[in-house]
Amino acid sequence: MLMIRSIVRPDKVDNVLAALMEAGFPAVTKISVVGRGKQRGIKIGEITYDEIPKELLITVVRNEDRDYVVKTVIKAARTGERGAFGDGKIFVSPVEEVYTISSGMKETAGGVIEEVKI
Amino acid sequence: MKEIMAIVRMNMMNKTKRALSEAGISSITAKDVLGRGKGLVDWRLLDGAEKGYEEAVAQLGQSQRLIPKRLLIIVVPDRLVAKTVKTLIAVNRSGKSGDGKIFVMPVLGSVSVRTGETGDSVLDDA
Repeated sequence: MLMIRSIVRPDKVDNVLAALMEAGFPAVTKISVVGRGKQRGIKIGEITYDEIPKELLITVVRNEDRDYVVKTVIKAARTGERGAFGDGKIFVSPVEEVYTISSGMKETAGGVIEEVKI
Repeated sequence: MKEIMAIVRMNMMNKTKRALSEAGISSITAKDVLGRGKGLVDWRLLDGAEKGYEEAVAQLGQSQRLIPKRLLIIVVPDRLVAKTVKTLIAVNRSGKSGDGKIFVMPVLGSVSVRTGETGDSVLDDA
């Protein structure tokens, strides 16, 4: 299992969410964040804006779906043909165990599903 | 040490906090988030839409809503992972979809900002 954290422009969120839904990955968590990137924020005249609002989208997917989901997000979050600074980043990190609270089911990275005894 | 990321219902927060501190896990980070899960997708509806039934197509597009949830981030030593997860499930389980998910991820290190300590001694010790 992998956690895919995508930082995207707030105005591209609807686009990305729709693309993920269409791609068959409905489960997403969205967090509003602020941040700056390699360009050190945006400088307009004297003022530098280095807390630029972005949205952080979290999805957890199986290892084999990784490339597909990443490509889906990139396609939906890019501005224009070749993209622009500020379009965002995607981070992929490992997840060892996933629990569904309603059923108490546990799924490990190997794909083994079992019930947790409480 | 492991990072436990749990997404739970907002109205369960007080109960969850109390249960966690009773279990000896006092340090948590919480954040308001919006999200959707697998539950909102009616696969029969999607199948129907794919086959071109008009009623199914008309009902599509309703599932874009995001539901407010609470995201808990808890970093615990390896031996407390099972206890934390069991506490979270026991408190938050109602059996209906929307109860949430728990993700367990590896963490490579931790440092206390105040003392500069590193390793497991920074974390809860129950």
